[in-house]
Amino acid sequence: MAVLELTNITKKFGDFTAVKNMNLTVADGEMVALLGGSGCGKTTTLRMIAGFTEPYAGEVKIDGRVMNKIPPYKRNVSIFFQNYALFPHMTVFENVAFGLKLQKLPKDEIRSRVEKILTMVKLTGLDKRYPRELSGGQQQRVALARALVTRPSILLLDEPLSNLDAKLRVEMQVEIKRIQKETGLTTIIVTHDQEEAVSLADRVIVMNEGEILQVGGPKEVFDYPATPFIADFMGFSTFLHGTVEEKGADGGRIVCSGVSLAVEPAELKTLEKGDACIAAIRAENMEVAEGFGQNVVGGHIRSLTYKGQRTRLEVEGCFAEDIYPAIHDYEKTGEDGQILIRLPKEKIRVYKA
Amino acid sequence: MRDDRVNLLCKIVAIVSFLFLIAPLVIIIIASFTPTAYVTFPPKGFTLEWYEKIFSKDTHFVDGFMRSLQVGVIATVVDIFLGVTASLAVTRYDFKGKGVLLSFFTSPMYVPSIAFAFVLLQVFSRIGGVTGMWKILLGHIVIILPYIVRNTVAVLTTFNWTLEDAAASLGANPVQVFFKITIPLAKPGIVAGSLLAFLYSFDEAVLSSLLSSPKFVTLPIRIMNYMELTFDPALAAVSTILIVISLILVVLMEKFAGLDMFLK
Repeated sequence: MAVLELTNITKKFGDFTAVKNMNLTVADGEMVALLGGSGCGKTTTLRMIAGFTEPYAGEVKIDGRVMNKIPPYKRNVSIFFQNYALFPHMTVFENVAFGLKLQKLPKDEIRSRVEKILTMVKLTGLDKRYPRELSGGQQQRVALARALVTRPSILLLDEPLSNLDAKLRVEMQVEIKRIQKETGLTTIIVTHDQEEAVSLADRVIVMNEGEILQVGGPKEVFDYPATPFIADFMGFSTFLHGTVEEKGADGGRIVCSGVSLAVEPAELKTLEKGDACIAAIRAENMEVAEGFGQNVVGGHIRSLTYKGQRTRLEVEGCFAEDIYPAIHDYEKTGEDGQILIRLPKEKIRVYKA
Repeated sequence: MRDDRVNLLCKIVAIVSFLFLIAPLVIIIIASFTPTAYVTFPPKGFTLEWYEKIFSKDTHFVDGFMRSLQVGVIATVVDIFLGVTASLAVTRYDFKGKGVLLSFFTSPMYVPSIAFAFVLLQVFSRIGGVTGMWKILLGHIVIILPYIVRNTVAVLTTFNWTLEDAAASLGANPVQVFFKITIPLAKPGIVAGSLLAFLYSFDEAVLSSLLSSPKFVTLPIRIMNYMELTFDPALAAVSTILIVISLILVVLMEKFAGLDMFLK
């Protein structure tokens, strides 16, 4: 249970700056996700918190104490690795007990604590198995148990769900959240997967090229990305260039490729009439319209991909740019057809171009 | 039909090869019990006389055995230390000339041992004062190193170094990480390499024949010397004992290193 503070931390590898002047405070018991593509500096940040690498400048503080020079084994920061990093020559019990044995705790206490944590991650009865005898999901639980049993002050999770199939993902997502709430651990998740970030974290930190781009609650980052770049990263599929046509207190309009679209007035706060802008919308937020109306555009389906619950379309002819709606329970299968698509007003984000 | 014939052919080739390899060993072992004064097969009777002879003082086989054991064990222990540290250096760290260094560590394997022995002899006579055991020991330390390095490197190149980070984050200091994680996981390679290295040293003859002194003669040289004068079944008896020892070591190696469970 601890507060983590990163103040102005910078990390360089030769000429390459992996993390630039980063500032972040994680409150006691908070679950925060560092989200970004590969090379964005999220893993380097994690390694600096764990103590595997030292910042070039700035300070890593845990509970107010500067940790820069403290080696990992004295930090009491547990890390859950993407590939689990279970010790292959040890049984489940020995893996989990490893950290406790190093603390020279009495045998009875080690046994009871290991048993308790194995119950918590639902692995009772498997303590004599070797990691290679376990399924991926079970190995993951062992890794989690091993990280938790030492009662760390901070828990670091490196892509905790990425190696799991869809069903296990949901299960582990719930599990990790439950355990985190139960233990009240300050937790930092590193991931490139927006779904993983928004489903687990209380707060999402979007990073790119070693810098923080946006900090916000999961819903905020998911629905209101701060820039088109973040929007793209968060799964917005369609981007339209246009200009602001009208800006009023109760409504705004933008024009994209000659089509006038109504948008929320809040979207135009930083824009003026006549400014160039970019409108963005998520694939699942577009819908098929029965007839013309507000924000309904007609186009021609160029291609169609069935994706189970949703069907992903490529529609051309509405704007200069193609649009990519993902329609729920789409009935038709023909590729060669006209279609009307509605871009709901409240789902459109508008950025300065 | 055709598959059956191919199968049969494979079986025959396998059996013939196996016989070719094993027959001489079996013949020597059986012949070592013959009561005749020369090696015959099949043996004409049964005696343990030759085993008695090799343990008697005048053959010096026991003395040679002890010397070989001494050199083999010391050289192997020294090389475990040198070889494991060298292997860790070239696998864990990324630096310029890493490949060259690895080739250097394994080069004694490719240099003809007679050439190496000749050079070593020159060096020792220049320095002077290097006595019996030291000459052979130093030579063996060099020529058996590649076996330990190669086997250890083979294991460490597939080593998941994240395991060391994981152990450190759980509170293990670098020494604890080394002895509780790195060494146990590299053990199959280290054990296999050490046994091969020891066996190589134990029956090494080229280097030892040039470097041995009257006071320090290893077993293979004792056997060679004995062979020059006499050719009785005592040689078969001593060979039998060596075969059995090698066999035991190989079985031990399989037991420790043959399990690939740690390599995952």
